[in-house]
Amino acid sequence: MATPLAATSKPVVFVEQSLYQVHEKVYPRSVTGVYATSRWLMVWLTQVLFYGLCWLPWNGRQAVLFDLTARKFYIFGLVFWPQDVIYLAVLLIISAYSLFLFTAVGGRLWCGYACPQTVYTEIFLWIERKIEGDRAARIKLDANAISMKKLFLRASKYGAWGLLALWTGFTFVGYFTPIKALWGSVFNYSLGPWETFWIIFYGSFTYVFAGHLREQVCKYMCPYARFQGVMFDPDTLTITYDAARGEPRGPHKKGEAYKTQGKGDCVDCSICVQVCPTGIDIRKGLQYECIGCAACIDACDQVMEKMGTPKGLIRYSTEHAIAAKWGWEEIIRHVIRPRVLVYAAILWTIIAAFIWGIVTKPTLRVDVIRDRAVLAREVEGGMIENVYRLHVMNVSEAAHRYAITVSGLPEIDMVGDRIIEVPPAGDQTFTVQVRVPPESGKKGSNVIYFDVKAMADENTAVREKATFLQL
Amino acid sequence: MQNILSVLWPSFLVAGIAEGVFFTLIDPRELYLLGEPVHFSSLATYSIGFFCFWAICAASSAVTCYLLRTAKKPDDTDRGA
Repeated sequence: MATPLAATSKPVVFVEQSLYQVHEKVYPRSVTGVYATSRWLMVWLTQVLFYGLCWLPWNGRQAVLFDLTARKFYIFGLVFWPQDVIYLAVLLIISAYSLFLFTAVGGRLWCGYACPQTVYTEIFLWIERKIEGDRAARIKLDANAISMKKLFLRASKYGAWGLLALWTGFTFVGYFTPIKALWGSVFNYSLGPWETFWIIFYGSFTYVFAGHLREQVCKYMCPYARFQGVMFDPDTLTITYDAARGEPRGPHKKGEAYKTQGKGDCVDCSICVQVCPTGIDIRKGLQYECIGCAACIDACDQVMEKMGTPKGLIRYSTEHAIAAKWGWEEIIRHVIRPRVLVYAAILWTIIAAFIWGIVTKPTLRVDVIRDRAVLAREVEGGMIENVYRLHVMNVSEAAHRYAITVSGLPEIDMVGDRIIEVPPAGDQTFTVQVRVPPESGKKGSNVIYFDVKAMADENTAVREKATFLQL
Repeated sequence: MQNILSVLWPSFLVAGIAEGVFFTLIDPRELYLLGEPVHFSSLATYSIGFFCFWAICAASSAVTCYLLRTAKKPDDTDRGA
């Protein structure tokens, strides 16, 4: 690419009643360069992670599995139970603050490089380009009357998109149901109705969002795109057209000393507009539609190189830097400012707390529930009995035998299992009868304690309080 | 079409959040439906739950849309001076 298109006659514009908005169809032209390469690196990184991680085994199970049926989340060596919801909440807060921090410093880095919408659009566009050709070929194909060739190209494109979308849906469901079993059930036609439904549902979403809606998702549907401006300030890096350098724009004649004639560096080749996935003209200044993908930077740099003018007519810069003509050193110096420091301080505090929480996460949990049917009763030998249900949760990766003892009242004793075995990441509920002599403790409620201790490890112990009703 | 989507899409997002919060806190096996314990598989309960949340949120969005469309603004000048 990178040969500026000869001044085209009237541009062909397709206005389509698309799913979300009446809009002009955008035909992003392919682009190469530093930023395009980084974008592709991110595509690979995120997708190798997404498509691959669910296949990774760990201790005889799936390394990352959000087992909804068993209500347990496995992430490598960690097992999260519904009781651990606080960790999920903290993780969400960390994500939010990272987003704030990144946005304040680097603008829409998330949108441009990491957002699944961008990543899948990039992949779907790549398929489209391989099958139908680049921008000009696609515009022509759309304008052509229906023909065998057009039908064939369309069918191949939609087919390839469909396969990828189905695989994406399958992978997604594979994070919630063990993926190897899921893969097996595809082949012996025993896929459950809900699994099938969610594979198709998520697959269709991928297909429609990445194949058809594309930039409309960012422009009209994404809540983040609407409020990201709040995180921006005049020192935030954004993709900026240096108007002072570029204007007045216009074509240059070969060898012409255009600067002496009052012309700017912009040759008005419109390639920055053609490569834009959201179809905007960056030369009109910062717009909320700009997802910060930097495709126009790569495109413009190539043109500038051809024209023999310095690169960076469109570049990552800040409002202040453009106004005061700062270099990189000055821009970097302005990264450290109150907003960034506050975001960073909060973020690091929460991350530290999160790591501390994970490291000190208990490996044993016990719930004691009084039997609702029996309050207190007299049993043989005149003893008074209360009945409890103990729920012992082994939150560790190894099977454990636990010893259970009861204390808190004179001559207190229990009937039932004193030693129980719980499998790794498993739980067990069982009933114990606690008995005391009638003269032990006061009439009414008394505090007693259950001690559950791992037999192999003295440090894994839990003491749970309970009430004992004395008659 | 645009109206339908601006009802369905935000409600989809909010339903996703509601689903996550609700089922993190509540075990589907502990739910009762018309006095009977829910006997669907967990996956079915989660799925049906999600669509119920979606429907409820969509209903709310739809009413908002409807009211916005038919409300007469107080400063309307055509109230026959």
